[in-house]
Amino acid sequence: MRYIIKHGSIIDPARRVATVGDVVICDGVVEQVSELADWHADNESIGDDIEIINARGAVIAPGFTDLHTHLREPGEEQKETIATGTLAAARGGFTTVCAMPTTRPTPDTAAVVRHVQALARREGHVRVDVIGALTQGCAGKALADMIELSEAGCIAFSDGGHPVADAGLMRQAMTYAAALGVPVMTHCEEPGLTRGWAMHEGIVSTRLGLAGFPAAAEEAMLARDIALAELTGVHLHVCNVSTAGAVALLRAARARGVRITAEVTPHHLTLTDRWVLGKLVPHETVAVPAGPPPPPASSRKGRRSAPPEQIIPSWLDPALLEPYDTSTRVCPPLRTQADVDALVAGLRDGTIDAIATGHAPQARVDKECEYGVAAPGISGLETALALVLTLVHRGEMDLVNLVAKLTEGPAQVLGRSPATLHPGARADIVIFQPDQAWTVDASQFASRGRNTPLHGQHLKGQVMLTMAAGEIVFRRDHFGRSGEPRRATSRLDGFLD
Amino acid sequence: MEMVSRRRRHVIDLDEMTAAEIEEILELTESMKEVLAREIKQVPTLRGRTVVNMFFEDSTRTRISFELAAKALSANVVSFSARGSSVEKGESLIDTVRTLQALGAEMVVIRHSQAGAPYLVAQHFAGAVINAGDGRHAHPTQALLDLFTIRERLDRIRGLKVVIVGDILHSRVARSDLWGLTRLGAHVTLCAPPTLLGPAHFWTATWPQISISHRLDEALEGADVVMVLRLQKERMQAGLLPSLREYSRAYALTPERLERLGAETLIMHPGPMNEGVEIWPEAATAPNSVIEAQVTNGVAVRMALLYWLAG
Repeated sequence: MRYIIKHGSIIDPARRVATVGDVVICDGVVEQVSELADWHADNESIGDDIEIINARGAVIAPGFTDLHTHLREPGEEQKETIATGTLAAARGGFTTVCAMPTTRPTPDTAAVVRHVQALARREGHVRVDVIGALTQGCAGKALADMIELSEAGCIAFSDGGHPVADAGLMRQAMTYAAALGVPVMTHCEEPGLTRGWAMHEGIVSTRLGLAGFPAAAEEAMLARDIALAELTGVHLHVCNVSTAGAVALLRAARARGVRITAEVTPHHLTLTDRWVLGKLVPHETVAVPAGPPPPPASSRKGRRSAPPEQIIPSWLDPALLEPYDTSTRVCPPLRTQADVDALVAGLRDGTIDAIATGHAPQARVDKECEYGVAAPGISGLETALALVLTLVHRGEMDLVNLVAKLTEGPAQVLGRSPATLHPGARADIVIFQPDQAWTVDASQFASRGRNTPLHGQHLKGQVMLTMAAGEIVFRRDHFGRSGEPRRATSRLDGFLD
Repeated sequence: MEMVSRRRRHVIDLDEMTAAEIEEILELTESMKEVLAREIKQVPTLRGRTVVNMFFEDSTRTRISFELAAKALSANVVSFSARGSSVEKGESLIDTVRTLQALGAEMVVIRHSQAGAPYLVAQHFAGAVINAGDGRHAHPTQALLDLFTIRERLDRIRGLKVVIVGDILHSRVARSDLWGLTRLGAHVTLCAPPTLLGPAHFWTATWPQISISHRLDEALEGADVVMVLRLQKERMQAGLLPSLREYSRAYALTPERLERLGAETLIMHPGPMNEGVEIWPEAATAPNSVIEAQVTNGVAVRMALLYWLAG
């Protein structure tokens, strides 16, 4: 089967290029990428085994890689399965997901890893890489069979959301991983500082009377893990960075040459602890949602004459939520605006390598309860792109760099060849409309986890088609089938430099 | 004012309540107190209405106060106590509330150990919800009875200096009092050991008008009202305090401090008291102590709220 994706804005982050053109896919690999003028495929001359996908006005990019996905299978299939989780991934534009090991049982032996890999081959919609358990049962007591796990194909070791409290054990684990050349992914949380936590410790937790997870709990553990990474020489990958202090620690560690990489979630880049207040008005300010800053002068004129669907507000409004909405409970918790600003800056300047969803689907019963006892986690795969695109729409990040953080960045963390669209590359491709306005409806998620604070929010940016190894694994509303042009390419002015 | 009262369906905290609404409830409390002074302490206002008191945390006092309030208004009142969160019990709070609704409950009063639980109840219940204390978050009826008691004795709230001393961090009473007192124009000083308060700006960001102190003797200068909070013994076990002896020396309302305060300063405590820990018996029973009046006024305030919400 051959696909010709026509008239798209091609972003190839590996080569930092954005051009308008066509991409030809044949037998699972990219066959040809051409400037618009170079390809003159004619509808009438095309046979049955060729499909033309009209991508006018949309972005064509390498498929995204998610470094941090909880697929929940085996053991918690009421929350998610490999089938539903990878379909959610496909709908979010992800063609590779790295499955976190906090399942039941955990992949702490090769047999469990092979079971997950077999399930993924049989039922997965996108590629699944398995992260092996760092300690047996992710319980932080004894090392998992790390040599066996790495031979079985684990791409990293981690205990998921469980911090390894014992520094001595962490050192041994890192020493093993360093020798195996496999990264260790850590969730940084000093458990002595987070007992009974419900949300970020700060102004909002004080007002709401909820026990806090201070920023220092993350930073203290990160400082320890950086020291241990220097001691052992392991490649340390820091999961879901959430505080300004953590960004500063990472920046300093990188500057002195520590082998360290880091990821940040879409929600930590865009939402704050203010979301736990929901519709309650913060005392100091009367007007609730802060709109986006005015667009730069160059694009202002263009926006004023934009068609109506473009002026649907794309900023986020926490007042749509009830107070103490458990969908806002996530680990690490949503932090403050100062943290959000530092995370965006860290992402922009390369201190943070990748955007990872931290996709943590939960069953209804785990969320329909009191805030302090609700299971933490956000079902994030299907809103990730639109959420991080708010950074582009607000002018805080350029589109090519953002796409790199979803493709190139994670590939580098995994030590893979750069995600790219050059001929011969595996045809993992996403096509998205960065401007398409939509309203989040969690009941329409492919994921079994409907736990999102974004339900009902107006976002901009929608995945239209996802192709994994040359096969269409997700397609929205017959995208690209009609011959008529959908959008003018000039719509992308301002997003592409 | 009537319009506003008709529209509000629940009382979960005072943070969303306007000064006018608070005043309206305090005025209603006045009339309810008059009812309670009669020989027959009952009016037919809520005859045929069903009120359910759900107490997921032990509190004999507050429960009895709510029961008496509902009975004085002739409501059908049912109370139940169940310890622990819904998760521990294996039954969800939402399910409990739906069941009560199906049984015909029109108003629920909820006491719960988890902050925010009343908001969850309110989302799944068609009638009115009154918060009788949720975790560390809020205790609006306590705050209203405190306001009523202060105004009853001192004729005003505006401009008064009110010192709240004790375990502020874990206190729902302190938080609701903060909303009520600041909204009605009082100057509030919070006084607590550093571990039972947290950083000052965590408080002043939400309540910019207040003062923060770690030294009780300084805080008490010129105070019109002193509210002493209960110190839970668990705070000691959690390592938040060096010793009870030291806490008492630094933060208790002792006879010496009582003497320095003068006879005009109101002494308040939401109860139950740990006498000899945060307050000395001499202070609790002093002529300027209004601790018993707080309890009495609690019934009238809760009657006023039930009436106000039943609209």
